[in-house]
Amino acid sequence: MVNRKLQSVAALESYRAKIAESQKNEYPVIYVCGGTPCLAKGSSAVAEAFKKEIESQGLACKIELRHKVTGCQGFCSKGPVVSFGNDIVYLEVKPEHVPEIIEKTVKNGQVIESLGYKDPQTKKRSASFQGIPFYAHQKGMILKGLREIDPFEIDDYIARGGYASLAKAFSIDPDKIIDMITESGLRGRGGGGFPAGTKWRSCRAIDSEVRYVLCNGDEGDPGAFMDRSIMEGNPHAVIEGMIVGAWAVGAHHGYAYIRDEYPLAVKVMKKAVEDATAMGLLGKNILGTGFDFDIKITRGGGAFVCGESSALMRSIEGKVGEPRAKYIRSVEKGLYDLPTVLNNVETWANVPLIINNGPQWYRETGTEGSPGTKVFSLAGKAVNTGLVEVPMGTTIRELVEKVGGGIRSGRMFKAVQTGGPSGGCIPESLADLPIDFDSLSKAGSMMGSGGIIVMDEATCMVDVAKYFISFLAEESCGKCTPCRDGLPRMKQILTDITEGRGKEGDIELLEELCDVLSYGALCGLGSSAPNPVLSTIKYFREEYEAHIRDRRCPAGVCRNLVTFHIDADACTGCTLCAKQCPQACITGERKKAHVIDQSRCIKCGVCRDVCKFDAVRVE
Amino acid sequence: MGIDIRKIDEIIERYDKSEESLLAILQDFQHTFRYVPEEGMKRVSEVLGVPESKIYGVGTFYKALSLKPVGRHTCKVCTGTACHLKGAHTLTDIIGKELGVEPGGTTKDGRFTLQTVNCVGACALAPVVMVDDEDYYEGSSPQDVLKNLRKYK
Amino acid sequence: MEKITIKINGKDIEAVKDQSVLEVARENGFAIPALCFHPEIETRAGSCRVCLVEVSQNGRTRLVTSCNYPVRKGLEVRTDTDLVRRIRKGVVELLLSRTPDSPVIQKLARENGIEKSRFFVDEGEHYRNRCIACSLCTQVCEEVVGVSAISMLDRGRDKAPGTPYLKPSQVCIGCGACAYACPTDAISMIDEGEVRKIWGREFKMVTCSVCGKPYIPEAQVDWIVKTTGKDRSFFDKCPDHR
Ligand SMILES: Cc1cc2nc3c(=O)[nH]c(=O)nc-3n(C[C@H](O)[C@H](O)[C@H](O)COP(=O)(O)O)c2cc1C
Ligand code: SF4
Ligand code: SF4
Ligand code: SF4
Ligand code: SF4
Ligand code: FES
Ligand code: FES
Ligand code: FES
Repeated sequence: MVNRKLQSVAALESYRAKIAESQKNEYPVIYVCGGTPCLAKGSSAVAEAFKKEIESQGLACKIELRHKVTGCQGFCSKGPVVSFGNDIVYLEVKPEHVPEIIEKTVKNGQVIESLGYKDPQTKKRSASFQGIPFYAHQKGMILKGLREIDPFEIDDYIARGGYASLAKAFSIDPDKIIDMITESGLRGRGGGGFPAGTKWRSCRAIDSEVRYVLCNGDEGDPGAFMDRSIMEGNPHAVIEGMIVGAWAVGAHHGYAYIRDEYPLAVKVMKKAVEDATAMGLLGKNILGTGFDFDIKITRGGGAFVCGESSALMRSIEGKVGEPRAKYIRSVEKGLYDLPTVLNNVETWANVPLIINNGPQWYRETGTEGSPGTKVFSLAGKAVNTGLVEVPMGTTIRELVEKVGGGIRSGRMFKAVQTGGPSGGCIPESLADLPIDFDSLSKAGSMMGSGGIIVMDEATCMVDVAKYFISFLAEESCGKCTPCRDGLPRMKQILTDITEGRGKEGDIELLEELCDVLSYGALCGLGSSAPNPVLSTIKYFREEYEAHIRDRRCPAGVCRNLVTFHIDADACTGCTLCAKQCPQACITGERKKAHVIDQSRCIKCGVCRDVCKFDAVRVE
Repeated sequence: MGIDIRKIDEIIERYDKSEESLLAILQDFQHTFRYVPEEGMKRVSEVLGVPESKIYGVGTFYKALSLKPVGRHTCKVCTGTACHLKGAHTLTDIIGKELGVEPGGTTKDGRFTLQTVNCVGACALAPVVMVDDEDYYEGSSPQDVLKNLRKYK
Repeated sequence: MEKITIKINGKDIEAVKDQSVLEVARENGFAIPALCFHPEIETRAGSCRVCLVEVSQNGRTRLVTSCNYPVRKGLEVRTDTDLVRRIRKGVVELLLSRTPDSPVIQKLARENGIEKSRFFVDEGEHYRNRCIACSLCTQVCEEVVGVSAISMLDRGRDKAPGTPYLKPSQVCIGCGACAYACPTDAISMIDEGEVRKIWGREFKMVTCSVCGKPYIPEAQVDWIVKTTGKDRSFFDKCPDHR
């Protein structure tokens, strides 16, 4: 390989100018989404079709064209997504659409409205980012890069201003950098919302030869994928942030800890580190400044608890990922007992923005206490789901109704769950709450890393609590008594309630156990485990009582407490349910009302989910 | 079971001789042999100078590592939050019935290991089934998933 | 050693900076229960959670485990508040559900006013028996004996100590230090004639040439000779007859 090492800040700038120049001569770029959901929906076939079409038409000589595979473009539920630099975006694109797109959009700049977004209410179509509510209400500070940059191409990143913050940072005193981060009000995006500047300052203040800078890419929240998308879609932004952080705190070694279940993220990050090293942006004597910093990639081992800071550090050391008491903080005694700064993927990705544009600019977005934007993975029962980024302070309702497009199949919006297993459920009645670190905590939930799960009337809150507690019981490291032995018992009580064996006093017993965990557990996994239970008891107590007293599941979820039957008036006899029923216990002739054989029904609910006419009823 | 000791050494060779490499080496064993063999752990202990007890402790702690061989294909049903709300557990039951195994189990012919995992980052497809960490299937129609699974030999 | 003054239950107490609250409290006659604490072991895992106390420092009050909380200037400790009692009782009730047959835990439960656990009880489940997963045994083996024959295995409620591959350990020297350290007597060590059984392995014992009592495993003698260079003949007699 040729030596591409950039020897100085000036060399970086002239290199940038060179690639920008060479990219300018190009014609419209077609961005084909290469995020996991789009790939699953066939985006590689679409990309392939573009390639073929471009070649067969011999466009290469007339109009030079490239198609690019990018990170997730956000609108995963409507994938494969194809967009163009000029505000046009097509959804649910199939290979057969490709010739038309080439003909109209690429050659003639026409918009094909029929490939755009169809508003479920107005039935109007739009193929522009601005015209689609899902995109129009977002602010893409972090995600912008994901839509435009080929994550495997460092040049792509550099052409769009990548690594510019280094040039600036290296000319500023580290203490001043920390001041900038502090002034920006940047708070950790990994859940706790701890001020990043404060953390960096304490680490720098410790007298030590060696310090470490770590990136938490463990993303253990079982309903979240923002960090994954950032690492897969714009890895260099994370690396750039880490270099700035290392410079600021005086660290020469870094680690990125990435969840093992994200093979693509590991691959992309590894390649990015190699490329950055080859270009002299990582390694010894970065950009000729004399500053050394390297990053190693560690794959996680499949343990939620390893997202917790002290467990993560043990895991990097090659040990069992058990947390430690943190009476001495990890900025003081972290990895290998040396001063360590650990920040989340998204936190790091914010850093270059702050250095490039200044803290004041950063504070213009978001709220006083929580500046900037937050990336969420919006999932659950909303019409539109995917990766979204909104300014902090956006209300839950705006997020669910505008970006999310409301609830699917016209059901009622019931609650959102934020913060994953450490968070809680916030009822619709509080949906006007602004989303920021402090408001969510006050409501008994928390920001967490950014999973937002939308729930409708067909979501049982006791079942949700049971789900999270079962998850945590599996993931408890087993070190301390309250969590190790308390969670299985909470799970048992919740299971009894959902299976019709609930007793008076169970709710109080749960509350008692919650206290033992909040006060007694060693780490955050155990001490925040009560949130899903306490928040659902607080806002949906009557649902618990219905299970316990009336042996009834109002949402129609808990199998032992419900029966399914088909409403003969509503059933059109489309046979869909009969085809999908795993028990084959639905019978009926085409165009005639169908019937469920109750003796064989396992109450899986598939029929209800597939029925397009809402004819399957549960009681 | 015959495990090729040269393969074991090849994997160990890729990494620095320090405890820090332990997890990565065991993961590579997992990918290569479809489990973490006892011979491998013994060898790692010798080379890295880490007591076998610690290596075994690590081997039993992390879910990504399995001490028993898994099937030729892994079928992972996502039971993350979004998938749970959309019926992932039923889907697991249905697939388990088809394959004749419980989650965590391997079919008698060694064709499939069925696992449940947390969010695989494709919630838009919920409930999601992932085969061999490569192929993703939307699970809202279980019968279609079963049809797809039959393709894997 | 920096001397400092702290307050325990309102009383001024002299202490050495960074000593644990538990040790300072016990030296001064305050009773705090503790299961996973062992004075000779440096790792303070803080896993059993029965040694909880309330501390206030810099205007912040919280519950901490006294066995690994370092004393610093101005610290105020309360060992017997309502909160401490309530949470400790909860912890002990959970331990009682985990190991209902352990006399140590039964006694602790009675002291905390618990008759019977209200939760489901783990009965004689697999190998873990009376083990409360405190990890003292593995720490003794590693830090004091220097052998690392056992480690904590699995996670969550299955967590328990064991040998590699659950097979008899090749490196265990049969010293029994783990069994002596265990707070709940959960490790089975049986001395029968000239044989000691522990962790699934049998060790031949050396007999005292004076009293004829088997008193130390041969493997342990080998280990001591190897690591300290002591003369083998030293072990001909048991400590009582040296
Ligand atoms: C049980 C548990 C799991 C966690 N999982 C994650 C995670 O997956 N990703 C993450 O960034 N932070 C996670 N955290 C928070 C981290 O401990 C830590 O606070 C964070 O990475 C710090 O970075 P930040 O300040 O940039 O958010 C977890 C915490 C706990 C207690
Ligand atoms: S709270 Fe749970 S995860 Fe944390 S140390 Fe205790 S047992 Fe382990
Ligand atoms: S609930 Fe499931 S088993 Fe019962 S009829 Fe519907 S699809 Fe069949
Ligand atoms: S008996 Fe074996 S396991 Fe126990 S402390 Fe001694 S060497 Fe370690
Ligand atoms: S056997 Fe005893 S010392 Fe070892 S972990 Fe269990 S309770 Fe603790
Ligand atoms: S993966 Fe394509 S939009 Fe998310
Ligand atoms: S919850 Fe299943 S993919 Fe996210
Ligand atoms: S003695 Fe302190 S936690 Fe066990």
